[in-house]
Amino acid sequence: MSKPVDLVQGTLDMLLLKILALEPMNGFAVSQRLKQVSGDVLQVSDGSLYPALHKLEQEGWITAEWKTSEYGRRAKYYSLTKLGRRQLEKEADNWGRLSSAISRVIKLKEA
Amino acid sequence: MRPEHWLYTIPLRLRSLFRGALADQELDDELHDHLERKTDEYAAQGMTRQEAHRRARLDLGGFEQTKEKCRDARRINWIEDFVQDLRYGLRMLRQNPGFTAAAVLAIALGVGINVGIFSVLNGAALRLLPIPRAEQVVSIDQIFHGRVTRDAHNGPSMFSYSEYLDYRNHNHVFSGLLAYEPYVEATLGGGKMRELSGALATCNYFDVLGEHPAQGRGLLESDCATPGGNAVVVISDDLWRGTFASDPSLVGKRIILNRTAYTVVGIAPPGFKGTEPIPSSFWVPITMQKELDPWRDRMADDNLSWLALLGRVQRDVTMEQVRADLDVTAVQIDQLHPGRTTSLAIRTATFFNRQMEREILTPVVSVILVAFGLVLLVACANVANLLLARASVRQKEIALRLSIGASRSRLVRQLLTESLLLSLIGGALGSLLAFWSFTSITRLMISYLPHEATTLTVNVAPDFRVLAYALGLTLFTGIAFGLIPALQSSRQDLNTALKEDDIQRGGGKVGGLFLRSALVGTQVAVSMVLLLATGLLLRGLYYAQTLDPGFEMKGVATLFLNLGEQGYSGSRGTEFMVSLQQRISGLPGVIEVAQAECAPLSHDFSADAFTVVGRVEKIGIEYNHVSPEYFSVVGIPIVRGRGFLPGETHDSPGVVVTESTGRRLWPDEDALAKTLRESSGREYSVIGVARDAQVAHLGDVHPTYLYFPAGPQDNLRVYVLVRYAGDFLATAKGIRNVVQSLDADLPVDVTKLEDYLEVWRQPSRIVAALSGALGALALLLASIGVYGVVSYGVSRRVHEIGVRIALGADRTEVMKLVLEQAMRPVLIGGVVGVAACAAVSHVLSSMLFGLSAHDPIAFISVPLLLLIVAMVASYIPARRAMSVDPIVALRYE
Repeated sequence: MSKPVDLVQGTLDMLLLKILALEPMNGFAVSQRLKQVSGDVLQVSDGSLYPALHKLEQEGWITAEWKTSEYGRRAKYYSLTKLGRRQLEKEADNWGRLSSAISRVIKLKEA
Repeated sequence: MRPEHWLYTIPLRLRSLFRGALADQELDDELHDHLERKTDEYAAQGMTRQEAHRRARLDLGGFEQTKEKCRDARRINWIEDFVQDLRYGLRMLRQNPGFTAAAVLAIALGVGINVGIFSVLNGAALRLLPIPRAEQVVSIDQIFHGRVTRDAHNGPSMFSYSEYLDYRNHNHVFSGLLAYEPYVEATLGGGKMRELSGALATCNYFDVLGEHPAQGRGLLESDCATPGGNAVVVISDDLWRGTFASDPSLVGKRIILNRTAYTVVGIAPPGFKGTEPIPSSFWVPITMQKELDPWRDRMADDNLSWLALLGRVQRDVTMEQVRADLDVTAVQIDQLHPGRTTSLAIRTATFFNRQMEREILTPVVSVILVAFGLVLLVACANVANLLLARASVRQKEIALRLSIGASRSRLVRQLLTESLLLSLIGGALGSLLAFWSFTSITRLMISYLPHEATTLTVNVAPDFRVLAYALGLTLFTGIAFGLIPALQSSRQDLNTALKEDDIQRGGGKVGGLFLRSALVGTQVAVSMVLLLATGLLLRGLYYAQTLDPGFEMKGVATLFLNLGEQGYSGSRGTEFMVSLQQRISGLPGVIEVAQAECAPLSHDFSADAFTVVGRVEKIGIEYNHVSPEYFSVVGIPIVRGRGFLPGETHDSPGVVVTESTGRRLWPDEDALAKTLRESSGREYSVIGVARDAQVAHLGDVHPTYLYFPAGPQDNLRVYVLVRYAGDFLATAKGIRNVVQSLDADLPVDVTKLEDYLEVWRQPSRIVAALSGALGALALLLASIGVYGVVSYGVSRRVHEIGVRIALGADRTEVMKLVLEQAMRPVLIGGVVGVAACAAVSHVLSSMLFGLSAHDPIAFISVPLLLLIVAMVASYIPARRAMSVDPIVALRYE
């Protein structure tokens, strides 16, 4: 297993919110999607994914619902709430500013 | 968090709290679902079903751990944990009744005495006045800076009448501002002769305070209309019930105060005793000042500090506005006194308002609180020691919990919950005891005070502040004794703890023993400080009993007369005194009669600044005005020159100084015939030198003191000193008869001169009793601590001792070994305690009567006593070490 890139503190929340903003899905699907879209760069262990989801639920940013899945299995589906959408916007905004600031610093030419 | 956020989260949290089982089941389902999918995925990649399942579980990082983390994420856990810990803690306490009882008792004692003393202090200094809407009433004090000449009659921070009027008329913040003179003495005449303490008050007094007399009326503005014009009085409920036997028709009748008849217009409500710590018996309009005390016209003196001010703040006016508003007036008044600035101290009124009272009270209170707090500390150390001992028993349980995944913080939390539970039980018990017992203890303490006040206005009943203090102290206690053992026992090497048994575990326990020894050392140090203080005070008391004050105290009766207050004029006073002296001299058994401005050790002092002619240095010297007979009556010999002659008065130029004064002013010279200048500029020459005597301050070995001859001016306020042979009671009766035959309305109180000594000893007696009780308690707790640590040490080393004895060690040798180890913390703690006490004992010096604050007898005997007690406390468990049977000990494995 390749060593996953350490996530900047707090960015996992943002990533999860963003993924759930696309469509409601269950925990397993979230982990799949995360690996898929980040091209295996961002690997979040299953052991930290679920606590993170529960925390978001507790904050009121996502809400959960038990639904029967495509295989006829009952699963817990998470979806974004209004509050979560607002939070996502805020965090994405912060992230944009942070990352562009960092890249500006990194791109400085050495004298 | 925003409110709408709460709308979302609160139901969720409540759900995880109350529907915990359901939420847990769902969590379980969710994770199982995840595992199945993951297994399917791995299986699809070609793994065997079993292998796939294993991988899926590995990815999840432990099923239970992840579940636990999810629960943590819900952040409701701590409540659940708390409830669980509580249940668990209660079970633990029930299972160890001996331990629980010992710990609860120690905490109850420690917390109880602290809460008790705090409720007394709270009643005295923090509680608001017991009047309607007391939070609106503020007291005002003024503090002068710069060039000030001020007559500080009742205390430097008080007001003159004209200043009061300025503040009353120019403020925009009070609905009413009142002034009163506290502690006005008056003799109740008319056959019920009694000394009363009351107040002269402005006529808005009862209105501003919001107190309405139970019968009749309060004071009206018209009562204050003309100076001397309205002889009316409101009396206290206590006076009405006591002296007037609840006479239902008293209102409207007249009573005599200092020879003037006053009409009783009202009787104050039962709960109202004035606004001073000592209850007031009557309230007279301030305009009657000169009638009540003809000495002096205080109303007219703009530079006299005699009135206390209380104002009721208008609704919606803040303290800052009050300050700003009154400061304007203060600045205006200052403009009349160039070089002087006044700052005002304004605070919500309590029974102790005056700056000076608070300045005296604060250090006393801090010393008391520290002393009581120290005992609590000792109690905490004991409980901590008990907990440490128990922790070693519980080591396996803790190790087991750690190994199956409990985090250290989780364990610390649980152990802390247990200790908080202990402290809460102990604290509640202690507080209850304190609430019950301290009313009676306060009464006892007050009866010791050298005052006639049998009651104080102080209310020691618990209020929210006392409860908050009790709770805060209890929580602090729980954490103080619980934290270290909790941290200590949750930090351990799992392997050794689980594998090895109690005896072989060496390494991990060294820390525990060190901690326990440190705790014992602390206990010993604290007890040492308290006991040394007691020892010093007791030595001081003994010293005061045996010390020679330099004058003859026995065989002298004293009588204090305040003729001025009783309306005597100067000539009438002189006439009275002349015949009084003659008649008393004629009594059987009376040897000689003298008079003095201040009787020896009567707490009456006069002082002035003197200069030696030709020098600039000003020296403060206390003085007395005495009649010629004084020196022989109190047995102070004149060692050089002569005493006073009959007929010498204030106009005579001669003074008598003490030997110490002579040495101080004219070292290596004869003081006789030297000249001394009073601050007024008048010069006196020394006609005699009297032997040093501690007439002003007991324990002041080299008093600078001088005597002026008494004159007619001294007759209006005078101590009569009578040397007699034979029975005191007969002499006292004779003196009383003489006074009453001259003036039947004069209050007469004849006492022995020795009785003044008691007043001096009283404070140190109270403090010695207090610190003695605390010290004894601390010593008891400390010896229990020593006992505990030694028996723990012995039980841990039974095996080792058994081996030693089996190998032929002498039993006394073994004993020595155990004792040595036990006494090390005691000795270290003892040395620290002695050093600490030596560093601070000078604060007691005012109560030691000249005894050194490092008195060697106290500093040797007290540590010795403590050492012996510690020896006994460690000898008892150490004996067990000697009786160790090597066979039993070795089989113990």
